[in-house]
Amino acid sequence: MPSIPAKGSPVIPTAVGRSGGIRSTGDLTTRKRSPGSNSTAEDGPITSTPPPKRKSPRLCINGNPSGPANGIEKESGDKLAKPSELLVKKLPDNFVAKPKWNPRDMEHLSAAKEALHVSSVPSMVVCREDERRRIFEFCKQCIEQEKAGSLYVCGCPGTGKSLSMERVNQSLLDWAKEAGIQTPDVLAINCTSLTDTSEIFSKILHESQPRRKSNSSPSPLQCLQGLYSRKQQQINMKMTLVIADELDYLITKDKAVLHDLFMITTLPFSKCILIGIANAIDLADRFLPRLQSLNCLPTVVTFRAYSKEQIFMIIQQRLMALPYIVFQPQALELCARKVAAASGDMRKALFICRSAIEMLEAELRESMSSLDWSSAEIGYSTEQGTAAHELTKQEIDIVRVDHMAVALSKTYRSQVVETIQSLPQHQQIILCSAVKLFRKGKKDTTLGELGRSYLDLCKSTLIPPVGTLELSSMCRVLGDQGLLKLGQSREDKLRRVTLNVDEADIAFALQGIRVFRNCLK
Amino acid sequence: MGAANPAAEALIFLRRRICSPKFVFSPFSDSPHSNFSKLKFIISSSVTEACNNSVVLLGPRGCGKMAVVDLVLEDLLKEYPDMISVIKLDGLLHSDDNCALKEIARQLCAEHELLFSKMASFDDNSQFMIAMLKECGLAHKTVIFVLDEFDLFAQGKQRLLYSLLDAMQSVASQAVVVGMSCRLDADQLLEKRVRSRFSHRKLLFLPPSKEDLHRLLKHVLLLPTDSSIPSDYVAEFNEKLVNILAEERFNQIIDTLSNCDSTFNHLLRFSAVSHIYLETGFLSFQNFKAALSSIQRQPKLESLKDCSVLELYILVCMRRLEVKEQDSYNFNSVMKEYKSIHDSFQTSDYYAWNICLRAFEHLLERQLFSFVDHRGHSQPIEFRPAKLLISYHELYQGLKSYRSCPAILQKLIDREG
Repeated sequence: MPSIPAKGSPVIPTAVGRSGGIRSTGDLTTRKRSPGSNSTAEDGPITSTPPPKRKSPRLCINGNPSGPANGIEKESGDKLAKPSELLVKKLPDNFVAKPKWNPRDMEHLSAAKEALHVSSVPSMVVCREDERRRIFEFCKQCIEQEKAGSLYVCGCPGTGKSLSMERVNQSLLDWAKEAGIQTPDVLAINCTSLTDTSEIFSKILHESQPRRKSNSSPSPLQCLQGLYSRKQQQINMKMTLVIADELDYLITKDKAVLHDLFMITTLPFSKCILIGIANAIDLADRFLPRLQSLNCLPTVVTFRAYSKEQIFMIIQQRLMALPYIVFQPQALELCARKVAAASGDMRKALFICRSAIEMLEAELRESMSSLDWSSAEIGYSTEQGTAAHELTKQEIDIVRVDHMAVALSKTYRSQVVETIQSLPQHQQIILCSAVKLFRKGKKDTTLGELGRSYLDLCKSTLIPPVGTLELSSMCRVLGDQGLLKLGQSREDKLRRVTLNVDEADIAFALQGIRVFRNCLK
Repeated sequence: MGAANPAAEALIFLRRRICSPKFVFSPFSDSPHSNFSKLKFIISSSVTEACNNSVVLLGPRGCGKMAVVDLVLEDLLKEYPDMISVIKLDGLLHSDDNCALKEIARQLCAEHELLFSKMASFDDNSQFMIAMLKECGLAHKTVIFVLDEFDLFAQGKQRLLYSLLDAMQSVASQAVVVGMSCRLDADQLLEKRVRSRFSHRKLLFLPPSKEDLHRLLKHVLLLPTDSSIPSDYVAEFNEKLVNILAEERFNQIIDTLSNCDSTFNHLLRFSAVSHIYLETGFLSFQNFKAALSSIQRQPKLESLKDCSVLELYILVCMRRLEVKEQDSYNFNSVMKEYKSIHDSFQTSDYYAWNICLRAFEHLLERQLFSFVDHRGHSQPIEFRPAKLLISYHELYQGLKSYRSCPAILQKLIDREG
């Protein structure tokens, strides 16, 4: 039984059911789970990080995709923890103002950061109910009819595919147990961990026939094919559910492995339900042409990139677990808008929110140090000191829009302009001369030409140029930094050079220096 | 005892200082905005809060990324002695995934005093790593991965990066990934899956500004008063040094130095060279000037200084042929040009054909020009096409600084402007 730290921080249950409402902590354990529901509300408490000596019983959902067994154990373990110290009743937001968040308190701060960490999985996965339902229905159908099938889940990174698959997995096993059907064997593989792509077959074979000796003939693939082509001797053989994450790692030059994997599900007596997860939307069409002719292309479930409202909702839901307000709503909106416009990647949104909290922390530290200094200097008594503290406390205890804006700009802005501005003078001249050269039309040139352009520029600006050795080593340094792209050649002068950054960036960065401004006009 | 001893002691003391990055970077690590404190904050908060994090340090070579990481790790190992374990990888050495995992397994074994088997396969190593991460997570130990030359890990399928960053997505492990790269767009090189798992924290390391350079020089070269060196020597040394540093021409030297390369490394090399000889026992302006010229060597100009007048003539002829857009010229065409110069200007330096050939061969040995293709050994030397290896500007400078250059050569060169 995980123990709850009794000091300080309030402990809040995370069960936010579909209907909000006042809910006391006592009856959380008895929430009935109806078959077919796909929201497994975890009833364990969420705890903030305790003092570093003790391992915190973190948010109780296991983030481990391999195997449901761990998940079940952990879940039941957490359900039992209901000490009487849990004090706060959960009220809906609009009735009561939440207590103030104190960013100076380490526990509050770490609680906030932990709620927003990517690895802390919330109790309820919102905004993906539709997709989860479709996958669940598909699997349910396959299991009920004892028929094989394949499904392909696709979407950009950070759209909740693996997360939703874990949930579906969980709810599938629960449903099977309640409905009295034999639970399928689940094999969750991440295809990046396979050294050889055909290992996946031996893993699937091992799952369904663990006692088989692993000898090389016949190959695992042939064994599987043989197994699924003949009518089974044993009745009621278990279904095997295979979840293959990062499916595109299986794509080899001859595309055989991927193809064979999906073909297994088309065999007449196959008991394998295959769910593949990848990023490419058209993977099935491009790499499985023969399946189309057999008319058993996998069903495709697309996880679209998150929209602004979805991102906002997800972050809100994570923060609702905390008893205090951490962000100004406008700040969250700004974050959601920017991230949705860029990629719709939920991980990025969470990173940016954490980064904004860190901005606030940094601001606090600065103001604390300056406040201490000023109060020490003027020699206030402690009372006045705390009064001044109170004043600043009111201003800086919530993450504002400007913190979020700084965090966003740090993430999305590239450092090119700053780097160019801090380059030594001659390297800036090289970049400038490259821009002038490429303005004339050609987009790539040789190092010799660049050297000539550099000398011309030096002559016109009356700066003494450096020698050829120095010039080529400076070009190499610029190439290492990624500002220029240098080709290979036997002779130094003949190496091809192109600009790797935008001309406009260089012009913008150098506009402060009169010499370059005149050149680049 | 005498003036030699304190000078020698001071020399040893200064050299020891320059070679220790801790001393060099300590003045820059005090402000809260410096990269040192930001990195320390990121790693220490990950350790105390037991969460995962990743950060990448970007900046040109020689700006102190590795030094700052070493300093931060040293401090953290003192603060949290048992809670951190460090794994260091280098993109140049461990670019292959197999190799990198093997190295990770080996370092983990060494750290935790387990036996490492060289026969372990890739699978074994990766399972070992995941198991160790879980164990360390349970034991509250944070594993810090320091990846040098991060952009080289981003070649190929990026399996190592993916497995590291993916392991950090789970609650079970506690790891921090610190990547260092000189490419600005190192995070753009990551595949989209890996980039999504990466936390986009970037710390930019820039070469120091001019004021910082001065501060650094003062910090490094001023002797402290509480060392074993006699204090009157120290006082005199420091006074002389401060006077030099305040001079305008010293500023010019620093400007010239930092115009090409203003990284910390470069400056440290400069200060190391500047006090190789302490003849008078104190640093003088001449020391710095000599250091500058020895750092900014021009080997071709030095070879030009040793050329004879005839060799200079040959070089000038070659240059003129190049200007006339003759892509390839050989010794015969050079001789023709030489003759035409003699005819038009009536110079007194007209030598016979075989002497000129000798001079030609000397120039070839000194690599002031070379042949265009290296296969034509069967051809006699006078027919093989050649090209110059020094630029117009270097030739011009060489002629200007030549001790007794005939005026005609300068005029010939000047014409091309």
